[in-house]
Amino acid sequence: MITKEKINAFIEKIPPAPKALQATLMFLNSGELVKAAQIAETDLALKSYLKNIVNKPIYGFRNEVSEISQIFGILGVSSSQQTVYNYMLTLLSPKKWELFHLTELHFHDLQAELSLEWKKILNHLNIENDDIESAITLFPASIIVAEALFKEKKNDVDILRSVNNLDFNTILTRLCGVDLFDISEKIAQKWEMPDTIAQIVQAASGSKPSQNDQINTLGKWMHLLVFFVLSKPLFIEAELNDFIEFQVEYVQDIYDDFAKLMEIQ
Amino acid sequence: MRAVVKHGIGVFNPQGFLDGNSATSLLSVEDIEATVKLNADMILVSLKKVVFFNRNGLDAFVKMFAKVREEKSISVGFCDYDTKKFKAIQNFYKNDLNFSLFASQEIAALFSQSYSEKNQNVLLYNNDKSQRSAMAIELHDNGHNPIIAQTEEEFESKKSNESAYDVVIENSYLGQMGQNVASRVTGNAIIYTISSFLDAEIGNLFNIAYHNNSLNVGFRLFIFDAYKVISMNIHALNFFSRLASSAAEYNATICFVGLSFEKTPKEFKETLEDAGIMFFDQMENILGDKELLEELGASSAAVIKNKRTINKVTVAELPSFVDATVSTIEMMTNSKALKEAAEISSINIKNPANMIASSIGFYGDMDGMVILVFPEDIAKKACQLLIGENTDDTEQVLDTLAELVNIVGGKVKSLLHDHKVNVNITLPRTYPNIESLLEIAQDRKGAQVDLSFDNDKFLFFLTR
Repeated sequence: MITKEKINAFIEKIPPAPKALQATLMFLNSGELVKAAQIAETDLALKSYLKNIVNKPIYGFRNEVSEISQIFGILGVSSSQQTVYNYMLTLLSPKKWELFHLTELHFHDLQAELSLEWKKILNHLNIENDDIESAITLFPASIIVAEALFKEKKNDVDILRSVNNLDFNTILTRLCGVDLFDISEKIAQKWEMPDTIAQIVQAASGSKPSQNDQINTLGKWMHLLVFFVLSKPLFIEAELNDFIEFQVEYVQDIYDDFAKLMEIQ
Repeated sequence: MRAVVKHGIGVFNPQGFLDGNSATSLLSVEDIEATVKLNADMILVSLKKVVFFNRNGLDAFVKMFAKVREEKSISVGFCDYDTKKFKAIQNFYKNDLNFSLFASQEIAALFSQSYSEKNQNVLLYNNDKSQRSAMAIELHDNGHNPIIAQTEEEFESKKSNESAYDVVIENSYLGQMGQNVASRVTGNAIIYTISSFLDAEIGNLFNIAYHNNSLNVGFRLFIFDAYKVISMNIHALNFFSRLASSAAEYNATICFVGLSFEKTPKEFKETLEDAGIMFFDQMENILGDKELLEELGASSAAVIKNKRTINKVTVAELPSFVDATVSTIEMMTNSKALKEAAEISSINIKNPANMIASSIGFYGDMDGMVILVFPEDIAKKACQLLIGENTDDTEQVLDTLAELVNIVGGKVKSLLHDHKVNVNITLPRTYPNIESLLEIAQDRKGAQVDLSFDNDKFLFFLTR
């Protein structure tokens, strides 16, 4: 159904991060927002993405924000960096989703929702670290990978899942010995994202706890956050809710804290 | 979201957070309709992967339960939860708890009449005395040994002796139980359980399609477990007489066990005996007597009155069946499956040692049966995707082989549908050795195709 050759071909096709993005990120990393904005202005697709995402109701700005320098200024360094990473990921996402019932806009909504809630969690945990903040941007890569690998096999997957409650990650692991998050890590490496990002996302898969306590704790929070967001009607209807297996036991010790933070009653 | 059916129990597996909005999105109208049509004697919603739920979240499923019970009298409820979740559900539905609650699927299975494991030692406790009794009665009726703790202290003390019980029941509640005619397979006999007053409704509660297909795939002994029947009327009598006539065409035997004639007219017994139905007092009188079993046809299916042979219609669709098998094996193993030889003949297995098999029947615009025969280690390899780990447990391999042949059946159904041929598939059946397979297949002519993947050979046989 899915072969190692197919996975290698997918990884092979991942384009390197465009030069303008690399430069924007470099300036953001060094805190030079103005220079970063000047470079970002030259990439029209990035400019359009930033405008659309920041003006979503979820960000809560009263007036339309249209200048990149203004956007970076409002978001600050770490959130700007996170938003640029989110944009990079959209370069990999399909124009037309086939396996999941998603649209380009809904995928952007998912990214925005995850990013904002992740920031809330990091504030709660008193963590200020740009790389950790950006880690959430890589998680949706696993969704893109599942879409790319399984979209032509939807009927097979449906029949398989009608007799056995298997998620995409388990199917892929059993068939090829690698999972969606290993492939996401390859994307992160190709785009020279900091190692911490991939490590947290691997832990957030729920099936590979990290030996590093901090990364493991962050993995738990991210795993729970992902299922909190994927339990919203829009994403359930997109059939994203069960694309990986929710590991309840893994997140049990942080659940009460999470529920309090997210005001779940 | 759809339920996955195993051993007659359909289970929904929602995950994450379950509130009014998410639950409504999880269950569409089509999902509910598909659930009603499932061939299951219990429908459960597992809360194992649900970290949060509220009443609105559960309500969507409770409405589905009501719909299912409106159409079919089967058991419905929630399972796989801890004490906190159990108390929350009880609190939500205090005065309106008309579904069941089973702390685990293992516990639920004890109350399913399709569950093959019998004679389980079950320790149970419930602070509601009527629940304790209801559970004990159901467990006893299903062939288990319930041990009831009268107080919580007694329960805790007994529970500490882990090795004494196969299953411990707590945090569970019995809602309305199923009233369908449940069926289970014991060896080569099919046992149906019937109860209370039998009237015209038996025609609706009895799954005639399942019965006919069981006849088609070679079952020859059908036992009605009638210990709990109080009486029957003329409509039920006519139903069983008709059933006996159709069974006679296949040389099959129908027996009643434990039926009391205190409230049923004695002449009914004569009418049923004239129709060919036999009566026994105890189940052990049949199942414990090998000679009798042989005489009644349960040990061999070779004596078939109207042997059916493979016909042109079936042969014309052979490529669809082979394609479905090949694509399933390719999907499951990531290897190329090859067709090596094909012939119309009786089934021919060259090296029968260590072979296992599974079959699935289909019926509708055409009917017949697909049989797959594998060496046990090759079956394990073919099922690796479903098993997920190395196992030497033959029972587990057979179970998974049933899932594999079920997938083949699903694909056949879909390929035939493309050719405008509509069929339904039966539940899969497995055979732990070739002798048990030959009992139903050796005299049948069919299309045999030798297939292989990764140089590992297996056999496909299509017959009627």
